[in-house]
Amino acid sequence: MSASIDRIDPAADTRFFDGYTRVMLSVMFVILMFIFASGKYMSAHKMEATGTDDKVNNLATQVTRGEHHPFIDLPGDAQVGAFSIANFFAGLIVGHHWTRLFGTRKVARDEEKDA
Amino acid sequence: MHIEDGILSPQACATWYAAATVFVVPGIYEIKRRIRDNLAYKPFLAMVGVAVFVISAMHLPVPVTGSCSHPCGTTLAAIIVGPFASVVISAIVLFFQAVFLGHGGITTIGANTFSMGIAGALTGYLLWKGLRALHCPLWLAAGVAGLVGDLMTYFVSAFELAWSLHGNVPLWRQCLIFFMGYAPTQVPLAIAEAVFTVAVLQAMLSRRPDLLRGVLAKKGA
Repeated sequence: MSASIDRIDPAADTRFFDGYTRVMLSVMFVILMFIFASGKYMSAHKMEATGTDDKVNNLATQVTRGEHHPFIDLPGDAQVGAFSIANFFAGLIVGHHWTRLFGTRKVARDEEKDA
Repeated sequence: MHIEDGILSPQACATWYAAATVFVVPGIYEIKRRIRDNLAYKPFLAMVGVAVFVISAMHLPVPVTGSCSHPCGTTLAAIIVGPFASVVISAIVLFFQAVFLGHGGITTIGANTFSMGIAGALTGYLLWKGLRALHCPLWLAAGVAGLVGDLMTYFVSAFELAWSLHGNVPLWRQCLIFFMGYAPTQVPLAIAEAVFTVAVLQAMLSRRPDLLRGVLAKKGA
């Protein structure tokens, strides 16, 4: 363990603002600027900015002449709560089965053999 | 393309479930076979699944039409993890989006999987393969695949709605009515998806070509 720590170059390890990070941040800012500009434009022109899926689903509802509701529908933030709880336990279960799902590292296997 | 519960008839929902199952089963076998060959395929597949989940839930505003829509990401997934594996990914993604985001529906997972994971992804994949076989450059093949795959997803969604709801109106007319509901917003996003597909494949090729083993016909293409 100590040998592997010795091998880390502190100078190289702290250079996180590398080319990849800069490109990703630039792309993110360009997309966010586009979203903010579009939002501002749509707000200024009193556009609803609803989802196209919703628009077409509502158009289809006019044909069926009946309202449609999600099969499972939770009010307000209860939906976010349910999503978080499910993610939390899914994460614990996947973590518990991690090696079974994705195998063990070769180094760990070699160490196990040596022991 | 996320059709919600209560719009399609139960018969239509069952039909689309059956049609999607025909592609999901070979997808599961494809995943098992690839994992036997390469264990690293499994976490890679999981990450691609996460990417499809995020991309297909990412609503981008289109100021020209005053509404928002999302790209699909399934053509890219089909190219890098395999066409049938991407069907399985789509089914899982649509299940989670329906249950936890209220996006789409439980009864319509079959229909939504068919439009996004099968029609869109396989059309894009076949175009990619065809154009690469004709020695087209990566940017052209990936761009056309991303563009057409995205639009095909929405066209098939419109067809699914029309097939179930056209009544006395001719099927293709109703299909075009629904498609024209999607198209004005979706065309700019399909172009964006084309650019995104090219950018991701180019980035993977330059940084991690090992992840594209068997994807490119020629090394360094």
